[in-house]
Amino acid sequence: MESTTLVWIMLLPLLGSAIIGVGRKGLSRNAAGWLGSLVVAVSFVLTLQAMGQLPATGVPLRQSLFVWGQSLPFELHVGLMADALTLWWLLVVTGVGFLIHVYSIGYMADDKGFARFFAELNYFIFSMALLVLADNFVGLLVGWANVGFASFLLIGFWTEKAEARAAANKALLINIAGESAMVVALALMVREFGSLAYAEIFSQASGATPGIVTAISLLLLVGIVTKSAQLPLHTWLPDAMQGPTPVSALIHAATMVTAGVYLVIRAFPLFSASPVAMQTVAVIGALSALFGAIVATRQFDIKRVLAYSTMSQLGYMLMGAGVGAYAASAFHFFTHAFFKALLFLGAGMISHHLSGEQDIRKMGGLGRQLPFVYWTFLAGVLAISGAPGFAGFFSKEEILAAALHEGHVGLWLIGVVTAGLTAYYMARLFILIFGGEASETESNHVHRGRGGVMGFPVAVLAVASTLSGLIAIPGITQVPGTYLAPVFARFGHEAVHVDSFGFPVILVLGMAAIGFIVGLKLFGPSGQGRARAQRSLQRRLGGPVANAFYLDDLYVWGAASIGRWAKVGALRVQSGFVRRYALTFFAGFAAFVFYFLLL
Amino acid sequence: MNPGLLEGYVALSAIIFAVGAVGLLIRRSPLVVLMCIELMWNAANLTFIAYARQWGNMEGHILSFIVITVAAAEVAIGLAIIVLIFRRRSEVDVDEAAMLRG
Repeated sequence: MESTTLVWIMLLPLLGSAIIGVGRKGLSRNAAGWLGSLVVAVSFVLTLQAMGQLPATGVPLRQSLFVWGQSLPFELHVGLMADALTLWWLLVVTGVGFLIHVYSIGYMADDKGFARFFAELNYFIFSMALLVLADNFVGLLVGWANVGFASFLLIGFWTEKAEARAAANKALLINIAGESAMVVALALMVREFGSLAYAEIFSQASGATPGIVTAISLLLLVGIVTKSAQLPLHTWLPDAMQGPTPVSALIHAATMVTAGVYLVIRAFPLFSASPVAMQTVAVIGALSALFGAIVATRQFDIKRVLAYSTMSQLGYMLMGAGVGAYAASAFHFFTHAFFKALLFLGAGMISHHLSGEQDIRKMGGLGRQLPFVYWTFLAGVLAISGAPGFAGFFSKEEILAAALHEGHVGLWLIGVVTAGLTAYYMARLFILIFGGEASETESNHVHRGRGGVMGFPVAVLAVASTLSGLIAIPGITQVPGTYLAPVFARFGHEAVHVDSFGFPVILVLGMAAIGFIVGLKLFGPSGQGRARAQRSLQRRLGGPVANAFYLDDLYVWGAASIGRWAKVGALRVQSGFVRRYALTFFAGFAAFVFYFLLL
Repeated sequence: MNPGLLEGYVALSAIIFAVGAVGLLIRRSPLVVLMCIELMWNAANLTFIAYARQWGNMEGHILSFIVITVAAAEVAIGLAIIVLIFRRRSEVDVDEAAMLRG
């Protein structure tokens, strides 16, 4: 069914970005902020409208745009396509995106780059919409590269900070490395399927050469691992926290980093045609979940704790997708977007209150000063820890139950341990910030009076983090599963799902409860951990866990060595003698002539 | 145009090109180097025009105009660079201009 709505969902944020970007000198701050929020709100409403238009049969909404690549051996009809999966993602991208735009009006109010911020944020929403709306791999890759560039712009938003510039470069470089692998995957698709359109590739996937499908899936996986910050290419995500906090909430927690999960689910006919690829996705996801959770237990920067926890939660999503529980994975994306955005926005309010302080060792006793943040943050902590009834409980349990149901006992065990660690580091984070005595850090009361514009999104997200899990109570409600089922049915698949969590849920809950209580005890007002943590303020933290197992240092060392070696070689070639360059050029030309004319 | 004439033009063009190329390699004055590049451009133009007349279509003519435009731009930038180098040091030798070496 044709639907022009899809074009507007995508174009409105682009239009907003252009107007705010071009007119940023003339627009008042309020105008820029509210215009940026408004276009995303309209996109959100249009997404709801598109959900209403989507036929129950599951035939996607379409909008063809143009023909691309007429000189190629095939024609690519570029267009937009929205099935249940696309709309599921768009709902969060525009919905949470809108809330974070509104929050930013308050958060960025004193920033001199206020209008630029909103132009870039709108541009991100456009890119992400393109990524999920594309009906072919070229459109996907263009959106993929554009969200990467938006992320680059926003990580390095405070261009005067050297760390921010370095982090932006790092994120861009790692993501481009992933994109190059994806380009190779696209080339293989053309070779094997003679097309780049989803519909044609997915319908042929099961009958294709197994080796090539595995190669395509694994190459796509390289891109997925970089975008979703999974082992071993996650190192850009903790650094990306140099960007403003709303950016961390929107791009580096709720939406962009989930693009990898989206791609695994979108390209499930390819992945499920290759058991090797599926296994790899699940194992990388599980290991990243564990790795992120372990490292998060020894971080002291509030945003870095949340960054590693994002990596860990994305690991859960990939693990779910890797065992075939696509709907559970998409569901965890949904709930995670709420509670992680909530935690980041809460963290932003805390560091605003403390004049930019982000070290949780210097915090404490904030519960009495910031009761609103206390209660909303608590909702987020309980949701991510998997407390029964909260959103994260249902989605996480569903993934774990599906893994066990499919017989992946090892993955399930890793998931259970991770659940325990998650509860532990979240309890530690929470009690260090809010428990105990107020620290000597000077609090900043300048920001009072923006409570409404920053508080409203946080309140909405807190409610969503508490209640959104109820849409998938096993055996009672199955909204994600039923809603997404047509996506898989079109290609003759069915997502793995479970009707009840069964008794293993007790084990997961037990682990989480132990982790939570240990975290609270250890870092509570009189706990040993708290005292030790505060003593460690004076020195750089040692040990492999606090330093994320030295992976980042290894990469820096490796890149520097290659760079030094390359410099020696390059200096020999790039001598600076123009005439030698000319001679080389002529020699090369002569070699070509010789090859083409004489051989 | 008779075939012999075409061969003559192409041969002339080859000679001009070779003169330019050799000059570029052995002379060290930047002005002469620029002139040698100009010779090579024009050798290429001559070939374009000769073949365009031979086949009786206009594409060669159009291309030679593009080449002239690009050559003009190249000379404008090249001369500007040379003038700037002259200001920094009294004599100019293309072998000495290696400041941007890594």
